[in-house]
Amino acid sequence: MTISQPVKHQLWAILGFAVGVLALSAVLRSDYFELVLTQVLLWAVLSLAWNILSGYSGYFSFGHAAFWGLGAYTVALGMLHFDLSPWITIPVGAVVGGLAGALIGFPTFRLRGHYFALAMLAYPLATLYVFQWLGYQEIPLPMKRESPILYMQFTNPRAYVALALGLLVVSLLISLRVENSRFGMSLLAIKQNEPAAEAAGINTWRWKMLALMLSGALAAAAGGLYAVVLLVVTPEAVFGMLVSAQALILALFGGVGSLWGPVIGAAVLVPLAEGLNAKLGNVLPGIQGVVYGVAIIAIILWAPEGVYWRVRDRLGKAKSASAAPPVLAAAPIAAMPRERREPLGENLLVLRDVGIAFGGLRALDGVDLAVPERGLYGIIGPNGAGKTTLFNVINGFLAAQRGTISFAGEPLVGLRPSQVCRRGIGRTFQVVRAFPRMTVLENVIVGAFVGAADDDTARRMAATAVDRVGLSARANAVAGRLTTRELRLMELARALAPQPRLMLLDETLAGLGHDDLGDILGVIRQLRADGVTVLIIEHTMHAMVQLVDHFDVLDHGRLIASGAPDTVVRNPEVIEAYLGKKWAQQVTEAAK
Amino acid sequence: MTNKLTRRAVTRGLALGAGALAMPAIGRAQPKSVKIAMIAPMSGPWARQGQLLKMGAEMLAEDVNAAGGIKSLSGAKLEIVYADAGDSTEKAKNAAQRLLSDEPELAGGTGAWLSSFTLAVTEVTERAQLPWLTLSYSDAITNRGFKFVFQTSPTAEHQAAETLPTALKLAEAATGKAPKTIGIIQDNTASPVSFAKPLRDGGLDKLGLKLVVDEIFTPPLSDATPLIEKVRSGKPDFLLLLTSAMPDCKLVLEKLDEFKLSHGKVPLVGNGAPFGSPELLKTIGPELLEGLLFSVANWPIKGQEDFIDRFKKKTGEPFLTQDGLCGYGEPAILVQAMETAGSADRLKVADAIRAMDLTTGRAAQCFPGPIKFDEKGRRVDVPMIFAQWQKGVPLTVFPTDLALAKPFWPSV
Repeated sequence: MTISQPVKHQLWAILGFAVGVLALSAVLRSDYFELVLTQVLLWAVLSLAWNILSGYSGYFSFGHAAFWGLGAYTVALGMLHFDLSPWITIPVGAVVGGLAGALIGFPTFRLRGHYFALAMLAYPLATLYVFQWLGYQEIPLPMKRESPILYMQFTNPRAYVALALGLLVVSLLISLRVENSRFGMSLLAIKQNEPAAEAAGINTWRWKMLALMLSGALAAAAGGLYAVVLLVVTPEAVFGMLVSAQALILALFGGVGSLWGPVIGAAVLVPLAEGLNAKLGNVLPGIQGVVYGVAIIAIILWAPEGVYWRVRDRLGKAKSASAAPPVLAAAPIAAMPRERREPLGENLLVLRDVGIAFGGLRALDGVDLAVPERGLYGIIGPNGAGKTTLFNVINGFLAAQRGTISFAGEPLVGLRPSQVCRRGIGRTFQVVRAFPRMTVLENVIVGAFVGAADDDTARRMAATAVDRVGLSARANAVAGRLTTRELRLMELARALAPQPRLMLLDETLAGLGHDDLGDILGVIRQLRADGVTVLIIEHTMHAMVQLVDHFDVLDHGRLIASGAPDTVVRNPEVIEAYLGKKWAQQVTEAAK
Repeated sequence: MTNKLTRRAVTRGLALGAGALAMPAIGRAQPKSVKIAMIAPMSGPWARQGQLLKMGAEMLAEDVNAAGGIKSLSGAKLEIVYADAGDSTEKAKNAAQRLLSDEPELAGGTGAWLSSFTLAVTEVTERAQLPWLTLSYSDAITNRGFKFVFQTSPTAEHQAAETLPTALKLAEAATGKAPKTIGIIQDNTASPVSFAKPLRDGGLDKLGLKLVVDEIFTPPLSDATPLIEKVRSGKPDFLLLLTSAMPDCKLVLEKLDEFKLSHGKVPLVGNGAPFGSPELLKTIGPELLEGLLFSVANWPIKGQEDFIDRFKKKTGEPFLTQDGLCGYGEPAILVQAMETAGSADRLKVADAIRAMDLTTGRAAQCFPGPIKFDEKGRRVDVPMIFAQWQKGVPLTVFPTDLALAKPFWPSV
């Protein structure tokens, strides 16, 4: 993989930072300042570890002390019971932390939002009691006079600064790698709209688990080194609420979801707290907590997303005033194969007797449906007929309770949305599910991952898809600022990017004006011309009649009519479903 | 800290000024001040204990300086620098490192009250070869092979081994027969756990005691009813109460009262200075505390009456406790060591402490038994002290020659 320009800049920044810290350590004249510097670096690692999970994926953890503590105890107990050196036990601790991440993630990722955050809170508290119960209330690391270096017991405090710096640099490099790969992009997509990410083919479960394991491993490594520096491990000191809070506060202060945010947070807040504690702790007990709190409130008022983003926005504004308008810097767009319209092929999607009920409500009741390859089929029906439910059952958001669904001859029931997407089914949503803080191109790249072996291919495929829907000029615009038409097109592009065989379009035309409608209809027609099979839900009847080959009509979860558009719209049952019995009779009489 | 800064600034200013004026004329420096350190929790949940230690230390500095400073150092004034250990091992360690960096001429120090803080602090002071005194009694502190750490309290193991036999003796002396059964209620924090472990591992059998109630809880206790129900049905001859947080202790005592087991129906024995704190009196009241017996590393004893009076008058405390006493006594040991060594050099001070065998004087007065340390840094021949709540004051009742009151074994 080639290294992109921004990544190069970041690599230089990390190198500069490391040199800066070493220089600072060299000029500091006091062991005390070296100790505080070591702590800054260690807390920065913890906060960065937290950021990998919580900053990128949005799954807030109040429980990173669990990993930190496990790392610390791995080192302490390894040395106490087995005479193992921290050179061995810190990496072992990282493995323990990673495994703990897997164990914790397995049950906890069933929860979302606040529930996840609160559940995470439980783990360090529970572990704290376990370690108390095991009788590990106070574990001093034995002093090794014989072979201090073998046991990481240096007399020169600069050695600890160097070790902590090494760990921080590794963490920064890992974070950088995560940020600039499909890993980080997938996490960001999860943060902004998890169902959309899943529907776009991202295996959200897998990435979340990986993020938690990686995060746990880094946090545990830092905890292990912390034990080496502090030389005494107590459950309260390593599993306590303060540790988890520290991880979170440093990142919130410095800038969540950024590479440098946690480092900035640690560099400002750790020395500030320690300084206040040193100067005022015994005159005004608790003053450090108050001032710390005030500092955080101030920063939240002034820079709610953290210092890093605030400063970057400031600088960004100054720059963008003079900068040229953004240009899409993608590889040359390969011409899409423009196939002639061929006759309909074999049945691509086949539903047999599909049913699902929510309590007493039968949302789908014995639906049979067949969509041939290269078909453009419409699904209509009054509100609450079960149309969106049908899509959700096809793409895996819901599992059908009875019946079978097959796609290109393979069964779909029981697959996760990301797996369904992987087989070649893309979808859009009734209410656009964008990743609002990403650019148009990035939104589409997230969709392209599923069809691309590597990130560069994904980028190219995304650029092609953006071009196909005619959004190239807006490729670098942030999704949050798009118009409805552009959002609809972007969502189409995202679903198109991995080149699916079947597209499920859910009310793609909703909320559009007459002129905008034309653009989207054009794209849909083009899709069909390119050989993509399309199943579309729509209310805008006149548009649909012109567009589709075939209508399937749903009412109360049942398929009540199926056929060519002009016959279906005259079907009395369909008219009744839409307009009521009275109208249906009138229409029938008028026809006579 | 402002106090300290201004005082230090003033002393420095005076010393410099005086030096500048006097040096060329007389050719000899004025007596310098010598510095020792005290690290104690002065903020956070243990702030109160730190304040008491500091009160004791401030009194010592006044006494020493009023009596003409340290004589063998031509009247050098004693200056104690204080640092806050806060509420975590990390803060305690930082405080130690900071003191050593800011005050390169320290002759010694004392602290940091909580044993895990002391463990962290002494990791720093040991490497700087600074003689360090502590009242923390975890065995781990002097089990690490450190050369510059001196523990003035009997270790936890020692206290655990001594407490019950002594309590049994007291019971036998008062009632004529030795108790046969015991109940233990404890929380699972560091010191109760290490205290009770040897008892369960055969210690009770050796004493001929049958364990009829054995309850461990995780603080904070929300309801003591299930614990006390066990006590009611188990009917132990006495109850060993090992709680480390006051609210838990209060719950247990109140529940005992509710079950009509208080007022000596089940005699209570505790361990540790928190059982004699003024706060306990304030929240629980003298009624329920009456007769509660506790073993403790150090408590005001016979011969300290003057000091107790002065301390109460100066600080407004209702009575003197271990903290105020050790806050005065531990720096006094360092002063004595400097006096003997004729130097404020930390290595010489440490040597003087190692060679020490004191039974009289300001330092010895503060501790039961002689001030004499073994090669581990533990004091030798230290008697276990027992105090008992009598009419709202915890008074030393054992050993008899040091007692301020007569013990009674509460009985029905």
